[in-house]
Amino acid sequence: MTKKSIVKLTEVTKIYEGKVMHRALNRLDFEVEKGEFVAVMGPSGSGKTTLLNLISTIDLPTYGRLLINNVEPETLSQNKLALFRRRTLGFVFQDINLLQMLTVEENLVLPLTIDGLPVREMEKRVASLAKQLDLATILHRRPDELSGGQAQRTAIGRALIHQPKIILADEPTGNLDSKSARDVLELLKAINQREGTTVIMVTHDPIAASFCDRVLFIKDGEFFNEIYKDEQRQTFFQRILNVLSLLGGNVHDLSSVRLP
Amino acid sequence: MTFRQFAYRNVVRNRRIYAAFFMASVFSVTVFFLYSMLLFHPSIENRFVQEIAVMGMGAAEIILFIFTLFFLFYSMRAFLHARSKEFGILLHLGMEKRQLQRLIFIETMFIGFASIAAGTFIGYVFSKFFFMIVREIVLLPALPLYLSWEPFALTIGAFLSLFMIISIVAPVFIRTGEAADLIRGEAKRRGLYGFSKTRGYMGLLFLGLSYGMAASTSNSVVIGLLFFLPPLVTIGTFYFFTDSLPLLLQFIRNRKRLYWRYFRMLSISEGSVRLRENARMFFIVTIVSTVAFMSVGILASLTSFASQYREMHPLGLAYKSMPENELERQHIAQLVGELNTAPIDYSLVRFQPLQQTSSFSGQPITMLKITNINMLARSFGYEPIELAEGEALFLPPSPSSYEALDTRKVMTLLEESRVTVDIQGAYPYQLFPSYVMGQNTIVLNKLDYDKVKDWSLKNNGELFTYYAFNVPDWQRTKDIGKSIDKSLAESFLAGKEDALPYAFDNPGMSYSVIRTTFSLLLFIGLLLAMVFFLAAGSFIYFRLYTSLDQDRKQFDVLRRMGITDKEFKKIVNRQLIPQFFFPWGVAFMHSSFAFLSLQVIWDALAEISIVKELVLVLVGFTLMQIVYFYLIRWRYLAHIKGAR
Repeated sequence: MTKKSIVKLTEVTKIYEGKVMHRALNRLDFEVEKGEFVAVMGPSGSGKTTLLNLISTIDLPTYGRLLINNVEPETLSQNKLALFRRRTLGFVFQDINLLQMLTVEENLVLPLTIDGLPVREMEKRVASLAKQLDLATILHRRPDELSGGQAQRTAIGRALIHQPKIILADEPTGNLDSKSARDVLELLKAINQREGTTVIMVTHDPIAASFCDRVLFIKDGEFFNEIYKDEQRQTFFQRILNVLSLLGGNVHDLSSVRLP
Repeated sequence: MTFRQFAYRNVVRNRRIYAAFFMASVFSVTVFFLYSMLLFHPSIENRFVQEIAVMGMGAAEIILFIFTLFFLFYSMRAFLHARSKEFGILLHLGMEKRQLQRLIFIETMFIGFASIAAGTFIGYVFSKFFFMIVREIVLLPALPLYLSWEPFALTIGAFLSLFMIISIVAPVFIRTGEAADLIRGEAKRRGLYGFSKTRGYMGLLFLGLSYGMAASTSNSVVIGLLFFLPPLVTIGTFYFFTDSLPLLLQFIRNRKRLYWRYFRMLSISEGSVRLRENARMFFIVTIVSTVAFMSVGILASLTSFASQYREMHPLGLAYKSMPENELERQHIAQLVGELNTAPIDYSLVRFQPLQQTSSFSGQPITMLKITNINMLARSFGYEPIELAEGEALFLPPSPSSYEALDTRKVMTLLEESRVTVDIQGAYPYQLFPSYVMGQNTIVLNKLDYDKVKDWSLKNNGELFTYYAFNVPDWQRTKDIGKSIDKSLAESFLAGKEDALPYAFDNPGMSYSVIRTTFSLLLFIGLLLAMVFFLAAGSFIYFRLYTSLDQDRKQFDVLRRMGITDKEFKKIVNRQLIPQFFFPWGVAFMHSSFAFLSLQVIWDALAEISIVKELVLVLVGFTLMQIVYFYLIRWRYLAHIKGAR
């Protein structure tokens, strides 16, 4: 493990037990460096969301070792885990999930109120975020009065306001039109570059993935491929498409062959 | 699978959601059935108390019916709204609108049938128990369990028609939009944030005004307030829930230092949305519980009323006979005979008040003999008082007039009989009901009294004869002298109150009538209140259920944001507790202020005994609420956390 890595999975396996046992991740090795912008891609059911949930620490691996910011979630109690999430991680969701009864401003400060910060500090951070994310004019609106892009920007603001080490995004552009999606991705990219915040994004969309430094492909819970960006976003996009066609075809052909 | 089977399975497999609804319906059917069992009871004759019982139960049935109608109406709407996605899919699959309506109709009728069957069954099982309680309160002879078609017909008929109405009306609640709208149909909470500031202030003003007036009533205006305050409070309460509370919450929301603090933001904002959704129901629950508390309080104050009543009516029985009364001997013999057969301890003293004109005031003055008074006083356990010739004492007409009279000294000549008396102070014990011996009464020494009596006999100046029965066990006399009481009541009803040459007073009987009436009303009220509480709780559960999907997502967000299970429970607590206990707290405030003003009517209300009984009822209801609260929170948390 290099000094710079912030997330490290070693042979992580996750098995869901229920009426049907399901192996969602199988001996996956994966590492994210500090300040990296990583996309995770794969067909439906490949274990992307499970991976994200493990890194979110709301799920624990069945086998294998998981290190986040040099902390092993398994060793923490439920309370400590919650505190850890509260201070280290920020989340952006596909269906945005703003709290309907709160205004934009209140949605932004929510994570801070839970931590009991002084009001002045909260106001300061809201002001700077609002400027950064272009939310200043809509701070007092409610979520149902926002466009999709505005709502997702608010959600990103909520994920950023407590200055987390890692941002976890689950299909952040899934519900957005192409213009808003582009805005959101550029915003994430900017934050990643300016603040040095690590971003891990699960996505289906090759365009979204082409904004990243690196793309991890997984299939049926196992490592499939990994590509790094190059000078041109266009060629990176093309290479992502190439891997996807390989991946997609295989998955389709082999969809009846599932691991035990 | 037939269509009917489909509907049936929908209900049975959704039983968890239907459970609270079902429970509240069953309970209201049960209570309705119990009331009607009493209404049609063959051994109830038309006596006064029973009439009140029948009237009370009848009124309760009507209230119950109307309330259940509203309750079902609201719950059905909330419930269908929650299932709009399911209906959307059905429409999408090609179900006709008409079929969908039939589906809902059949489903509702299934629940209706089930709750009517369960309700009447439980009702019948418990009716003997219910009769026993009623018999205890109303002091009826045995109320045997009976089987007759009427109560069943009434209950089944009433609720069947009720469920019919609901199931015909219910499908209207489904938005008639596109199937896609229904499938997407996440509960829109728009319009839930708006409120009118004016009405908000008005609500506060109305409540403040009525509280102020209730607290500062005086005897002269209290009757006017009785008509003025209830509507004012009702409107005030309505505005309070719909507008004033949102206004107050808005006030907090604008104070970041208060609002942006730990979980306050979440619980206050969520709480205010819930409040807006349920404002009307809260209003109804508040008013109903206020009435329930009031009746409990009035009953409780009756306990203290009993001791006061005793003070105002120290005698167990009193018979007053005018000189021309021919039945005097017969009546007294009857009373004595009834007391002896019961048997009830008593002591009888016969008084013959005399009347003269006082030279001091020029007013008529009534006189009693000290030996008679002492005889009666001894039976109460008081010390006899001696008077020398020429001495006299005032006999205070009521307990409150004693102090003023005790310091007075009057020298007067009884004009007709030329007897001079020196009245010094007042007789200290209250032996007679207030004012029976007249306002201006004195007690004379035996010799003076006899002088006056001699004059009266010569001049035919007899006033009346008063038989004072002191009965230590006064509450047992309620069946003594019934025929005399009846003859008096008949002449009273005929409008000739003064026609009969005698009067009879039985405090034990009057007291038992008053007491019974109130106990019965209280009992009816408590049962009703219980139905309302259950219904309110089940309604809150519904509302929670309708927003379950959204809440689940919210929980997911919060969990990722780093909220522990414990903290989440805290948030849920802070959302639920106000919903369960707030209406009830307001009701408590209302009734406390109502009692403040009632106190003016009830004059010296012994507060300690009220507090005790009120606390008992309050604790009972609180326990019920707490159990219900935990039950619903448990279900809610399980729904939120499970089945993702």
